[in-house]
Formats: sequence, structure tokens, C-alpha cells
Amino acid sequence: MTATSGQPAGMSAAVPRAPSAREAGSRIPRPLLVPFGGGKGGVGKTFVTANLAATLARGGYSVIAVDGDLEGANLHTALGVPRPRSSVAEFVAQREEDVQKLVEETPIENLRLISAVRPNLGAPQPSHSRRVAFIRALRQLDADFVLLDLGAGTDPAVMDYFMVCDDGVVVLVPEPTSVENAYAFMRAAFYRRLRLTLVDPELRKLVSVAMDERNERGIRTPLDLMREVESIDPAEGARFAGVMRAFRPRIVVNDVRSADDIKLGFSVRSVCRRYFAIEADYLGYVNHTESASRSVRACMPLVAQKPRSEAAVYFARIARKLLAPRAAAPAEVEAP
Amino acid sequence: MKPLSEQDYYETLEIPRDASAEDVTRAYNLARSTYAEGSLAGHSVFSEGDVEVIRERIEMAYQALSDPELRAAYDAQLARQSEQEHARPTPPDPAALAVAVSSAVDSIESLELDEIDDEDGEFDGQRLRRVRLRNGVDLDQIAAVTKVNPTYLRFIEEERFDDLPAAVYVRGFVKCYATCIGLDPDRVAKSYMQRYEQNRESPKQRRIFPRR
Repeated sequence: MTATSGQPAGMSAAVPRAPSAREAGSRIPRPLLVPFGGGKGGVGKTFVTANLAATLARGGYSVIAVDGDLEGANLHTALGVPRPRSSVAEFVAQREEDVQKLVEETPIENLRLISAVRPNLGAPQPSHSRRVAFIRALRQLDADFVLLDLGAGTDPAVMDYFMVCDDGVVVLVPEPTSVENAYAFMRAAFYRRLRLTLVDPELRKLVSVAMDERNERGIRTPLDLMREVESIDPAEGARFAGVMRAFRPRIVVNDVRSADDIKLGFSVRSVCRRYFAIEADYLGYVNHTESASRSVRACMPLVAQKPRSEAAVYFARIARKLLAPRAAAPAEVEAP
Repeated sequence: MKPLSEQDYYETLEIPRDASAEDVTRAYNLARSTYAEGSLAGHSVFSEGDVEVIRERIEMAYQALSDPELRAAYDAQLARQSEQEHARPTPPDPAALAVAVSSAVDSIESLELDEIDDEDGEFDGQRLRRVRLRNGVDLDQIAAVTKVNPTYLRFIEEERFDDLPAAVYVRGFVKCYATCIGLDPDRVAKSYMQRYEQNRESPKQRRIFPRR
């Protein structure tokens, strides 16, 4: 909740600079894998992914933007690559096993792309094991950042990608429908992650019950579920608490028009904590601007097209926050 | 995050103990708008009842922390509590509560003694309340000792079965409650839970996240 320190720094569009060489023992794993989800379509996941990728690239970081939306691929267009040479679809169809070979250049320096064009529309989504293999391959890519643009909805195909790391970004806009879907998305991510963590098949079943909104055990929140799990098996309860601590989605509010819209991120964070026992971080916001839609039509990230625009300032802030060490989880969450 | 009833006022406003007066006000304004009627952030999440409890708690927290004198007194109280907690391991010992609850007088109703509480018969919410009042025990005191949300304790007395959580929790709450007012926890729970099961809406009709 602290305000930006000095306003010259706070308002600068200066992009954080990449260290000339990653010092050994660097805190940030390389590449840092950041998925962008949010449940609802049209909230600007692709816009945010593309612009944040371009912002980091302008700062000298090596960035690979990956389109995870096999049924609505368009990240390539947002990044100014009208006709991608290759696609994730090649990997899904098992025509190409080397994910490295799917990477191609964009017009923006330091920014590369794995597109998702030309899927097999009969079976666009990879199997679970194929997804896991893909994620593992993404972690091997030679880059500082791999940003993964996800499709809408809370399909397992989407959730698996979101859960691969703890820095998943949830994009929302100040509208009830978007807020509702963002909560649904975070809950789905949390429960799915939990189900994969627990060992006892009975408890996994219990999590499945909890995922059903009409469940008969009266489980409403992760906190309720944790108590239930603890009462059945303390060891699994401890594992559960670990998952709760580690799950820390990050919120970006897109298309803000007022001070109240900006506050929404803090409010959502508070509600997440109180109602779902989920510790979310507020990563930042992006203003509503006509030039955003113009940049989409021009098929170029806004920050590349207009590096001095207000939006570029906001994206630079988000990038700085993404690079900053994360605050430790609050003490009360650490307590057993 | 701890349940609301276990949070201190700083936790309720989500600020550190050394927050400035300005921070307290800012946090309060944010919390108030977050949990306000029709709040965007609460869309699809808030349900009647629970959000009011949060609001009430936020107001209390602000009242205590916005006034320098009250805040100093509250800080001193927190310091004493944490000393005690270090000296005495959690969870609180039910025996210790006898001292804590001995002297309280709730209201005029507490003077209307009734004599049926040690006899057999059903333990409904009203009877529990009467016994409690006669013994001079506050709901807040029970809440402080048992760590059960006072709202739930109130709902138990008012038999708002559909606003109470799942049976497994309610049974635990009722047992704690009964112990605090000097009744046999098993006997009370057995009797009360029968009423609960008979009168509660079918769970199928309930949703995890009730929508407006």
C-alpha cells in the first residue's frame, strides 16, 4: 500500500535495465516463467503480455513470448509477426519435439516468439502429459523471461499452465464480470494445484468435492478445506498449508479510468485474503487509452510504438515490480 | 490469514503495528470501500451476514486505532496478551476460562434466572442463551476463549441454522460454548445437533459461494 517513492522515479517510463551478466546465485530463476490468465476473454491478457514483453525487451532482457491460446492464437499479431513460421501446434501434434526450434524473431529487439497458429482444430489441446513436457521445455529455453499468454476460461488446459510457477499474473478490468471470473480463475488454480499436491486419494477426492460449488460438506473457502483436511490427516494438512503459502497470484488491473479503478487491485487482494485465504500481490495497473486499441490495430505493442506514452510508464512500473524481490509472505500466514 | 475473530485490529485493517496515523486512515478508507455495499471487488463473493461482520469489525478497528489514546491502550493490551501467550502455550486451557468468565453481567435478561437448565430436555438456542446469561457470560468472552467467531455463537443462540457452517464445525462450536457456560458438552451437542439437522435447509440448496 506504499505510494511510489519520489515522483520522478514513480512517473518515469525508464525501463529497468538488465544486469550485464547474471551474477551467479541470482535470486530470479532463469528463465522466469510468467503465465498470464484471468478467466474472462477480452480483458487484455494478450495486450498486457505483449507490452510487458516489449517493455522487458527494451530494458535489455532476453524475452520469449509464448502463445498458450491454441484456440484463439493472436499474440503473434500483437507482436508484429503476421505470418509465424512455426507454432506450438507442431509440438502438440508431435511433429516437432524440440521446443527451441519453435522460437522465432519479432521486429522488436531481444523479443522472440512461440506462436500458436494453425492448430489442429479437431484436437487443439495437448494432453496433460504433453502439457507437462511443454512446460518443462519452456524452462530450458535460453532467455531471461518466458511470458505465457493463456486463453480464457478455467479449462484444465489453461490451469495447468498457470500453475507451473508461483508468479502467475491474473489480468482483470474494472467490471463485475471480469472480477467474478478472476476470482473463479484463482480458486480453480488453487484447487487444482492442491489436488495435484495431496498424496492420499481420499483427500484428493475431498478437494474435488470442494471444487464443486454445490458441495454438500459446506466447504466454502480454502480455509474451510484446510481445517477439514487437517482433521483427517495432519501431515497432509501441513502440505496443504505449504501450498497455500506458495500460491501467490499477482494482479494486474487493465483499462483503469479512475482512482477507484486503481484501488480495485488492493480491494481484490484484500478479498482474496479474507475469503479465499489466498495471498495475492498487486502488480500494477494500465490506464485506459485510445492508443491501446490503435496499437492493436497497428499490430504493434503500444510501448514499442509509443515509448513515451502514459501506458509505457505503467508497464515500466509493472516490469520493475516483476523484477523486484517479492515481499515475504505475511507472518500470520507462516504460522502453523 | 486468521479468521476475523482471531485477528487483532491491525490485522483487520491489514497494516503493520507501527503504521502511521495516515496509514491507518488510508487503510480504513480502502477497507471501507472494499467491503461497502455494491463493492466491485466483492462481486460474486460477498454474502449477506458475513460482510456485515467484516464491516463492523473494520469500524471497531478504526475507532480504536484512529484515536491516539485508545490506540496506546490497545497496544498495551496486545503486548500483555502476547506475553501471556508466550508464557502459556496455545490452545487456551478450558480451565483458565472459569476465571475469565466469572464476573460478567450481560444485560437485564441475566437477572431473569430460570431453574430448568440442569434438568433433562432439549437444549435449544434460547435455553443456551438463558443459561449463559444467568451465568453472567458474554458471547465475546466465549469467543475469546474458544476462538469461535462471535457471530457464529450468536447464530447458534438464534438458531440461524442456515447461516451456520457445516455440521462438523457447529458441533465443535456448540461443545466449546457448552463448556464455557458450565454445561455437559456432549449432552448439549447431541441435543442441539438434532435440532440443527432437522431444521437446516438441504445442503444441496446451498452453494459454496452464495450469489446475490
